[in-house]
Amino acid sequence: MRIQVLFFGATADIAGKRRIAVEMATKTTAKDVFEKLITEHPQLASHKLHTSLNQQYATGDEILSDGDELAIFTAVSGG
Amino acid sequence: MDFFELTTDPIDITTVARRVVPPECGATVTLDGYVRQFTKGRETLYLEYEAYERMALKEMQKLIEAAKAEYEIANVGIVHRTGKLEIGETSVVISVAAPHRKAAFNACEWLIKELKRTVPIWKKEVYADGEEWIEGDAQPT
Repeated sequence: MRIQVLFFGATADIAGKRRIAVEMATKTTAKDVFEKLITEHPQLASHKLHTSLNQQYATGDEILSDGDELAIFTAVSGG
Repeated sequence: MDFFELTTDPIDITTVARRVVPPECGATVTLDGYVRQFTKGRETLYLEYEAYERMALKEMQKLIEAAKAEYEIANVGIVHRTGKLEIGETSVVISVAAPHRKAAFNACEWLIKELKRTVPIWKKEVYADGEEWIEGDAQPT
């Protein structure tokens, strides 16, 4: 199945892009996607990361479905 | 009427403040958040804000709903700017209209605190000698 992954701010700088699509096996969790991305971009591990699934804050334990939109970002700093 | 928006254009504070005014209210509290030049002695040249737009709008709507459930207020307007902002330019406006001012002050304070904690917007500080994405210190739940 295919998962859309979005990066913002610091994580976009590390990944070198703002959006990627990753192919994952079924019953994958967000944490599985994280592990794959951290292998590719080790600098991600130096930040405290947060995640959202389909525009809702997520814990990372959720089982993903084909077409899900996952975002990975550092603690927000708007205002 | 409540509203929550992202814009790359300069924000007109008065327009935001007047849009929330209904006939049964007597006070509107408006926060004008703008770009600070000096933070802990270090000089900022300008800021860049980036938003996860679809999620930011959802989170802003949730904040307004929660504030209206908790405080005796009528209407809330939130407008956050993204893109490049110069020193002194307004980055966020929150206007809260209420029958009486105390609830509006309390709700406005709660809204900006929660916005900074939960709404997915990030700021990059650009200094004379470098730049960095700011990581908030509060944790979303």
